[in-house]
Amino acid sequence: MSAIEVRNLRRVYRTTVGVLRRSVKEVVAVEDITFDVSPGELFGLLGPNGAGKTTTVKVLATLLIPTAGSASVMGHDVVSGGDEVRKRIGFIFGGERGLYWRLSGIDNLRYFGSLYHVDPDVVKQRIPYLLELVGLKGRGNERVEGYSRGMKQRLHVARTLLHDPEVLFLDEPTIGLDPVGAREFRQVIRDLQAEKKTILLTTHYMFEADALCQRVGVINHGHIVALDSPAGLKQNVQDLSVVELEMFGVPEEVIERIRRQPFVDSVAVENRDQRQVLLVHSLRGSEAVPDLMASLNDVRVGRVLVREPTLEDAYVRLVGGES
Amino acid sequence: MLKSVWTSWRPVFTVAEMTLRQTVMDSFIIFTVLVQPLLIAVMALWMLRDKGSDIAVFVVVGSGMTGLWSSLLFVCGNSINVERWSGTLETLVGLPTPLEVIVFGKNLANVFQSLVSMVASYMLAAFLFGYPLHLAQPLLFGVSLVLTVLAFISFGLIVAPIFVMNPSVQQWQNAMEFPVYILSGFLFPIALLPGWTTPLSYLLPPYWAARALHATSSGGGSLQEVLFAWGMLLLFSLIDLLIASRLFKLMLVKARIDATLNME
Repeated sequence: MSAIEVRNLRRVYRTTVGVLRRSVKEVVAVEDITFDVSPGELFGLLGPNGAGKTTTVKVLATLLIPTAGSASVMGHDVVSGGDEVRKRIGFIFGGERGLYWRLSGIDNLRYFGSLYHVDPDVVKQRIPYLLELVGLKGRGNERVEGYSRGMKQRLHVARTLLHDPEVLFLDEPTIGLDPVGAREFRQVIRDLQAEKKTILLTTHYMFEADALCQRVGVINHGHIVALDSPAGLKQNVQDLSVVELEMFGVPEEVIERIRRQPFVDSVAVENRDQRQVLLVHSLRGSEAVPDLMASLNDVRVGRVLVREPTLEDAYVRLVGGES
Repeated sequence: MLKSVWTSWRPVFTVAEMTLRQTVMDSFIIFTVLVQPLLIAVMALWMLRDKGSDIAVFVVVGSGMTGLWSSLLFVCGNSINVERWSGTLETLVGLPTPLEVIVFGKNLANVFQSLVSMVASYMLAAFLFGYPLHLAQPLLFGVSLVLTVLAFISFGLIVAPIFVMNPSVQQWQNAMEFPVYILSGFLFPIALLPGWTTPLSYLLPPYWAARALHATSSGGGSLQEVLFAWGMLLLFSLIDLLIASRLFKLMLVKARIDATLNME
């Protein structure tokens, strides 16, 4: 039996627009998604903003009802068996909200422990362990309103582990964390994986998915466009090399010119402070560099690097540079 | 058996405890449950100062009830919306404890907090106005108070999902405050009102609460009348809980379809 089973899931949001002439506007967040997650697996969902990742997680956490299709967690349908699903899951949605800021960290955990039906003695024993696990040891008696964003997110992690759930949904859990906090958090995820928890992780960070996930589903425009292990996904771009060109003020027409070159597979632009980094996926590797430089005309070029493709490059190829 | 009863009720008391911890210094709640009822008590005691000391207990209980009703309307009524505004509703709905149990606990805290206004009015009348205060039937008054708390919590469980599902109804929140003070006979008997308003009073749980509390504190009613008011309070509580259970189901299905659990 799969721990998570999603079959032809479709979810449409309906909103009314206009004041006098009101009309219903439909936005398809998830078009048709099917995947399974095995017990104890760490499964990643990758995709650009608005691809349908959070919607999928919210359906699985029983917070949204699917428009069509079905989803189940540990054999229980998320709509008809919602009560059973809620007993078995924990979830985190990236961000600071979802906690009681006027209460201390410990009181928040006591509160949620009671609502998760955990025995108060067990809660009392688990709180120090969880606070230490998430790096909040010694800060539990402070009011949450004084916590940094990262501390609040770590408290969310402690909150969701109180009842020792079988399945965890982590929706962009490291967003907004500083690099040290994010690294510590990834270690927490690894520890949970070692405990054989089933984890569904959504993230924007490819290296995070590469380092943590056993399988990754790439989601775009409400469809799963690829589903494989990180190594398997990277195989899709093994024929390519990536040329990174650091530039200053590159015009749009130059990017278009490069994109039209026959040896170029795709082009993505990353903005880094005052610079732009052009990521050119090419079949010709370092041999493409002279031709690329010739296409740039008078644009000032900094560092040039040719490297092997990563999971991020596989992702860019799949979603067409939308991220 | 006792352990299992306690286990199933434990979330209610934890929610009540945490709600009290968060709201004990909230200025809006302090005004609603303490300052406003005290102002009403001062005005009523001043206006009725020539009527003798018997009226004091009536005023104390009545002004305390105004605090209860205002709290029900503004605090219990918004108990789900407040969670939505602060971004905690989504987390709560994803927990194994039903949302109605959580709101029951929040309402328990709010109603308990409102009872403070009754004690404050009592002390005000006793120390500031020098009225000798005593309860005619303390035991029966205690039972009436427990049934009143239950009736107000249950009524609050109906109001909260209605305010969530129908924001237009909530716009009438302020307008619902004083008519219920008057129709329920908090500060003067409904016999002073036109006859056509009496059936409206009978439909309000606060009216039966006021009747039971006034009768047992001032000693103005027979045991039969008190028992009848208790029966009505229990009946209304039961009906309200049944309606609330249905309303919560409807509200949560609608919120899960419309994606309105979160304000973001």
